[in-house]
Amino acid sequence: MIEATLFAIVVYDIAALFFQFLNSFGFIILATVGLAIIFGMMGVINLAHGEFILIGVYGTALAYHAGIPLPAAMAVGVVVTTVFGVVIERTIVRHFYDRLLDSMVATWGLALVISQLLLIVFGSSLDSIGTPLGSVSYGPFSSSIYRSVLLPAIAILVLAGLYVLFTRTEFGIKARATIEDPETARAMGIDTDRMYVATFAIGSALAGLTGALYAPALGSITPNRGGTFLVEAFVAVVVGGPSVIIGTLSASGVLSLFNAGGSFFFGTFTGQMLLLLVAIVALRVLPDGITGYVDDWRQRRREG
Amino acid sequence: MSTQDINVKQQPAVAATGGDTDTLLATEQLTKKFGGLTAVDSVDFSITEGEIRCLIGPNGAGKSTLLELITGQLSPTEGNIYFDGTDLTGLDTHARIDTGLSVKFQSPHVYENLSVTENLRVPLQRTDRDTQRVLAETLDRIALSGEADTQASELSHGEKQRLEIGMAITLDPKLMLLDEPVAGMSIDETDDVAKLIRSLHDDGMTFLVVEHDMEFVRRISERVTVLDQGSILRQGPIEDIESDDEVRRIYLGEDA
Amino acid sequence: MSDAADTVSRIRGRLEGPNTYGNSRAFWVGFAVLVTALAAYPQMTDPYTVIQTARYFAVAFLALSLCFIWGYAGVLSFGQVAFFGVAAYTFGAIGINLSSATGVTVAIVGAVAVGTLAAALLGYFMFYGGVRDTYVTIMTLVVALVLNTFMAQTAGSEWAIGEAQLGGFNGMTGIPNLTLGIGETGIVFERAGLYYALLVSLVVAYLGLRVLLNSSFGMTMVAIREDEARTETFGYDVPFVKLVVFTIGGAIAAVGGVFYASWGNYVDPSVFGIAFAALPVVWVSVGGRESLLGAIGATLAIEQMRTALSSGIGPIGSEWALVIVGGLLLSVILFMPAGVVPTLDSLVDSVQDRRSDQGQSTQPTEEAVE
Repeated sequence: MIEATLFAIVVYDIAALFFQFLNSFGFIILATVGLAIIFGMMGVINLAHGEFILIGVYGTALAYHAGIPLPAAMAVGVVVTTVFGVVIERTIVRHFYDRLLDSMVATWGLALVISQLLLIVFGSSLDSIGTPLGSVSYGPFSSSIYRSVLLPAIAILVLAGLYVLFTRTEFGIKARATIEDPETARAMGIDTDRMYVATFAIGSALAGLTGALYAPALGSITPNRGGTFLVEAFVAVVVGGPSVIIGTLSASGVLSLFNAGGSFFFGTFTGQMLLLLVAIVALRVLPDGITGYVDDWRQRRREG
Repeated sequence: MSTQDINVKQQPAVAATGGDTDTLLATEQLTKKFGGLTAVDSVDFSITEGEIRCLIGPNGAGKSTLLELITGQLSPTEGNIYFDGTDLTGLDTHARIDTGLSVKFQSPHVYENLSVTENLRVPLQRTDRDTQRVLAETLDRIALSGEADTQASELSHGEKQRLEIGMAITLDPKLMLLDEPVAGMSIDETDDVAKLIRSLHDDGMTFLVVEHDMEFVRRISERVTVLDQGSILRQGPIEDIESDDEVRRIYLGEDA
Repeated sequence: MSDAADTVSRIRGRLEGPNTYGNSRAFWVGFAVLVTALAAYPQMTDPYTVIQTARYFAVAFLALSLCFIWGYAGVLSFGQVAFFGVAAYTFGAIGINLSSATGVTVAIVGAVAVGTLAAALLGYFMFYGGVRDTYVTIMTLVVALVLNTFMAQTAGSEWAIGEAQLGGFNGMTGIPNLTLGIGETGIVFERAGLYYALLVSLVVAYLGLRVLLNSSFGMTMVAIREDEARTETFGYDVPFVKLVVFTIGGAIAAVGGVFYASWGNYVDPSVFGIAFAALPVVWVSVGGRESLLGAIGATLAIEQMRTALSSGIGPIGSEWALVIVGGLLLSVILFMPAGVVPTLDSLVDSVQDRRSDQGQSTQPTEEAVE
């Protein structure tokens, strides 16, 4: 009898840990993927990435509160963010493709401006949107189906879609050619300028999608939430390295394991600290900075 | 076959003990693999003090890799490098430079935003040589006395190459490594560099020069090593190398 | 008389060189006038303004520190606030526990030492591990965020160092004033006193850095900034030089942190936060990353603006301050990547060149701007 109860408790614990892992896994992938595309393909670290996601959140929430059904409101969020991303690429980011440190500084400035403008225009918070699909209860625990099942599933689908896009389509091949060697790509008649805009637009659209998906899962919608997304994304990109899909997937797996484990056993604070500490250790162990990576690659090419 | 240098294989062991004062640099079974590709394959190679040695070979023969193994920018998969009685293997680049090596890369790597004099000062300030005298002497040697205060980014390609050689020689090295010092230069500029190398050689400096331009090689070098697919194909006096059928086939023929 | 002239020219020789702006007689006269004016300032204005200005001076150490490592060695740190904050907390922790004059003096030394050591450890971890470029930037920011996350949850009474409560989100209170002395007797620096202590320290730090930057060490830093790999092949131990630079930068930031903690008798986790971490980058970018004085000037100007906006100017409320700061950063990096001072300097140079060309003059042009 006692054994059966103990057994049930252990099963509940494992299930809770697993759902927490899925929740964190989905969140990190979705928070990261837009940043990873822009970093992996263009080498630019967009420090306003969190605010891009926030624009997706605000677009969705404002449309929803205006009476548009949630799925359509989410589409609005994605479109708004994509358009915004393209405008930013044309006006700001394109000046920094060969000045990576400056691009970080510039996008940081942009992040300050966006979050503060959101505060000024929409006030300190928007009404929250109820999370759809309810939750599943087991023993003393309950997990949100939306956050712990649907979003991780969508996250995996997004990665799969990107894999197909970049390996199986003409656009993907052109984009990768542009990234590898812009000179040669131009010589082959690829409009590299358009490839940069398109890649940045995809990154922005993914940020918008993340914002749209999390709009009903954030609780309070405030202009300082961008930081939450940025830090996770930042850390995952660094741990994952420049390879977008493999990097995002593996980094999200490792990080959410630490984050979920830490949070489950020792509380949210420990989960968060573990995430950051893993990032620091990963940077030290895999110090393949952009330059190191590019140098290495050039070296092989010269010898090969 | 008569051009094969039989001595080479025995010298590294001697150099390792520091016994033979004539051998300045020696590699022992030096190997570098990149993934499945072997860029440098068990190379036993040595340079005698006071010579100008040219290293030639087709693209991808492993010349630049060999140079970067010597300077320590790459670490070997196997084998050792001895210089002037010291085992360099495992030392950082900066520590190797301190043993008396100096290097000039293929494309000019001058400090674009600094003046010519400042460029020369960067290496020079590490030595205890008389700054003013060496500066004047070097500027004169590389024929840039008139451009002492010019920003390096405003120099011509040939001037940048000379400046970079100048920077390398302010360290007063025992062995100077040059990677294609005349690439992209006009005939006159090439001539200047050849004269510069010969005059430094007259003052006792030893050279290892990676070069494509056979005309230039003929002008500066007495001995040539031919690298092919990561291994030493031939080495010996320039005349023997140029008349070697195998060398002509794999290298000179295509480089005409 | 000529001895004195010799001394002056020898001192100027140490302070001047191609690595710093302001190498003319006119510059030094202007500098002297500026320092004198700042020294007279407390007599001419109200106590509140003096106290506010003292705060700008304290955070200007952050600007100096970032300008030094980023502008001259090319190491962009988003986490200089970490060493600033660590020193501030350490000063508080030691100062609260040993509240005598000796105690606070020990706290000053201890706090600067701990902040410096933190920078040395992080620097060693990064530079000897081959962490470079943007990854250094990310890592420094992550370190600041770790400290931010950690400090924000230290609200419980178990989070205390002796008498000093870390205080979590609410911060550490009751930090003593800056005091130098032995036993119970000492000089306490507060209000105008603190202002003068800061002014002197800032001038000393500025001149000290100028000497360093114009020495052969400064030349090495610039060489590393321009081309790291090439500099290594001249025999420089690049990781070691970067470690030294980063440690000095950390020490300067730590000095600022000590002043900051004693200024408000208070420090909270927001010193490690992303918004505060952004400010040094803004100041240095705007002033000019290769101009120490430009960085200080931009700090004073931007902080002055933020204070002025905190109560609102006309229709513009305090909430616009960050928009303006962010917008300023964006426009400077877009349109004036070198920053205000270097841009002005090259403008003046080109005007002077044109004028001397017209006058057929061969006199060397002197830069009068910093």
